[in-house]
Amino acid sequence: MSAPETTALVGRRPARLVLGRHLVPLAGPVALTIVVGVASSAFSDSVQLQLHTALVTTAMVVGLSVFSGNSGIVSFGHVSFVGVGAFAAGIMSMPAQQKATVFPELFGFIRDNDLGNVASLALGALVGGIFALVVGTALVRLSGLGAGIATFAVLGITRNVLRNWSGVGPGAKAIPSIPQTTGLTQATVALLVCIGVAYAYQASRWGRRLRASREDPAAARGSGIGVYKERLIAFALSGAVAGFAGAVYVHLLGSVSVDQVYLELTFLTLAMLVVGGIDSLWGAVVGGLFVSLLNSLLFEGEKGLSVVGIDVTLPASSSNIAIAVVMMIVILVRPRGITGGRELRLRALRRPRRAEG
Amino acid sequence: MNERNGSLRATALSRSYAGVRALDGIDLTVHRHEVVGLIGPNGAGKSTFVNLVTGFDRPTAGSVLLDDVDITTWPAHRRVRAGLARTFQHGHTFGALSVQENVEVAALGVGASARTARQRGTELLELVGIAAQARRDAASLSHGDERLLGVARALATSPTFVFLDEPAAGLNEEEIGGFAAAIRLVRDERSAGVVLIDHNVALVLGVCDRIHVLDQGQTLAEGTPDEIRAHPAVAEAYLGVLDVTGIGVS
Amino acid sequence: MKYVQYLIDAIALGSLYALVALGIGLVFGVMRIVNLAHGELLMAGGYTLYETNGWPAVLRVLTALAVVIAVALLMERLALRPLRRASPTTTLVMTFAVSFLLRSIAQKRWSAQGKTMNLFTDLNQAFTIGELRIKYLTIAAVVVGGVLLGAVTLFLDRTDLGLQMRATASDERIAQALGVRANHVVVGAFVIAGVLATAALVLFAPQRPVVTPDFGLQIAILALVGVVVGGMDKPSSATLGGFFIGFANSMLFSLLPKGQRVFLDSALYGLVIVVLLVRPSGLFQRETVTSRL
Repeated sequence: MSAPETTALVGRRPARLVLGRHLVPLAGPVALTIVVGVASSAFSDSVQLQLHTALVTTAMVVGLSVFSGNSGIVSFGHVSFVGVGAFAAGIMSMPAQQKATVFPELFGFIRDNDLGNVASLALGALVGGIFALVVGTALVRLSGLGAGIATFAVLGITRNVLRNWSGVGPGAKAIPSIPQTTGLTQATVALLVCIGVAYAYQASRWGRRLRASREDPAAARGSGIGVYKERLIAFALSGAVAGFAGAVYVHLLGSVSVDQVYLELTFLTLAMLVVGGIDSLWGAVVGGLFVSLLNSLLFEGEKGLSVVGIDVTLPASSSNIAIAVVMMIVILVRPRGITGGRELRLRALRRPRRAEG
Repeated sequence: MNERNGSLRATALSRSYAGVRALDGIDLTVHRHEVVGLIGPNGAGKSTFVNLVTGFDRPTAGSVLLDDVDITTWPAHRRVRAGLARTFQHGHTFGALSVQENVEVAALGVGASARTARQRGTELLELVGIAAQARRDAASLSHGDERLLGVARALATSPTFVFLDEPAAGLNEEEIGGFAAAIRLVRDERSAGVVLIDHNVALVLGVCDRIHVLDQGQTLAEGTPDEIRAHPAVAEAYLGVLDVTGIGVS
Repeated sequence: MKYVQYLIDAIALGSLYALVALGIGLVFGVMRIVNLAHGELLMAGGYTLYETNGWPAVLRVLTALAVVIAVALLMERLALRPLRRASPTTTLVMTFAVSFLLRSIAQKRWSAQGKTMNLFTDLNQAFTIGELRIKYLTIAAVVVGGVLLGAVTLFLDRTDLGLQMRATASDERIAQALGVRANHVVVGAFVIAGVLATAALVLFAPQRPVVTPDFGLQIAILALVGVVVGGMDKPSSATLGGFFIGFANSMLFSLLPKGQRVFLDSALYGLVIVVLLVRPSGLFQRETVTSRL
């Protein structure tokens, strides 16, 4: 492309180009979500449940990527926000008259009230966002190893408190009797909402500033970007998305206990983000759905699966082992993930441009 | 653009690293509409000075005043928003962003709208002469172009004062001529005060209104280019070893 | 007298955590890696003890030692050495994956149900001095802990490999430019970490006789807390941090009323965050000059 043409393009920027700029990167994740959602209805109940779980887990990964993808800082603590969102939505969705007998130690306003489906989802997002905002004020000052360890510590604190504070939750027990409203529609719509929020943030001035700081913190400060503030905005927003995903998750499970939102889920969501590619929204969605699919296949395989006429039976509970191995291989062989860390682009094929000039 | 007569003043600015005085009581005032050169041998304290004034390091003593407001303790990004921009000696581009986006994001950093940012990006890449590279990844630029991008990015924050830290290293003579013209344009049309640090003495003598010479963390001399050229201590410490014949860059 | 008893118990637990912390600190020193899978070395040793139940005790300990060192070296060779040039975050994620992999394998092989290690249970017996009740295990923990810490210190001070390790820890690039062979140093660090982990395991086994897939994780996380609080950069400050955290944990556990005791973990994790923010290089270490632009 010659110089005058380039300047003309960036100068006027015809409508077609603006559309292409936003539609293509957004269309990929959206289309993939809808395909998985619609396709799920063709399968048996148990496979459907797995696909819905895949959609919801991917929503958590999208939440994680709002922070990690744009800031370049890996968080081991985002399941904390999933957890508080799930617990808030769960405990407020449990019918009030049951709570009075099962969990009498709850604070009055939690014990005596309950919420409808949509309100509980909003509550999950709110609680996740506020919690992230609070811990974020301290954490955004750290990066690299320090941030990794500190976010891990947040996860430990969240678990410890949720498990032992009977004023706000079930303690070591599970929250029962949560209406299972998350089916095909709710799971699909929820993931689409998360993708929409994540993309809108990424394309906004705040998202662009934060991504610049990921590239070079010193240059970002030199460009007037308040790095901590930008990180905090992303952290709070990603906490809200994660909390929302957690709320959707409890409505899929029907009950939830502390151990369901701890290390295993942390590992799974992190593996999804790393496998897909940590730097982009497309990577988060592809990774979430791909690892879920792998997980489901292995799960079916453990029950006995017929592949092109050959019966294969995998040994039980091998799925975590397989996912860990896949994750390690991706880190070693393709450290930017299977998507390469880029958003989906039509012109990806003609990207190498450095040969000219 | 704001036309009032602002000034940026460093008073008795000092910085020690583990007991070693990198900068020792420097006084330097820059006004708008002027280009001030900052020269001196390696290790003289030029970069330390820039870091202290732009907020990337904290002085052990002394203060920095912008239009008579004490900004000594302000964080770097706040100074940028107040009109104090800089470039970096070593790249520091946003590597995975395109050249155009690099400039846009700096405009966004100081609160410009997305549309203004885009316009400013196009305009400034033209000004520094790398518009042809607008859509490439910044990581793929040559060292010379990388520094020019740094200049465009600094200007995108609409600075009233801008520090250019060795911006011309890696440019050939023809390109240096164009770059000198761009600096004058920044002074005359944007009414900015420019502090230029460069090892190319010809460029500095040719384009600066005043020059400040540092040596071992202290002020060795200050004055107009003619005065500096005639200054015996400067000639001995610094200029003497260089070829000063190519002065008429303009 | 009650408090003296608490003090003695706390010193014993502190010694154990110091051993684990020194292992983590040595590996960090030479590789700049926080190994989240360090605890799985203890776990691997624990299952080895379970599988060898009935053999002579010395043979069991040596087998466990061999297994732990083998796992440590495999970890280094397969997962970490290829990442020598990667960012600290990437390696941190990798060690997290390794930890998860090893725990998943253990869960599959031995299930989540605990298995009894049954080693040196006699050490749980105690003798009394006045009102004080001292377990033989306490003596063993302090003696073995002290001897091993001393031995590692001597090793670092007096041997060629130790000198190379300290050089690498202080500046890897310069050390390599001077001809230090990075792989030797790293392998050395992992072997020592394995020895220390096995020693800690053997001393933990009588008092926590049941090994589960999470057995090592629980110990290593607390030790890591200590390493961060003490200061990661030097083996000595990491060790001191480990001792401090084991000591504090035991002391607070004895002193706090039961209702508050359950939140002890939160307090320790909170401490890590505060230290990272306020004194990133740790409590027991001099502040280093921040890097210049």
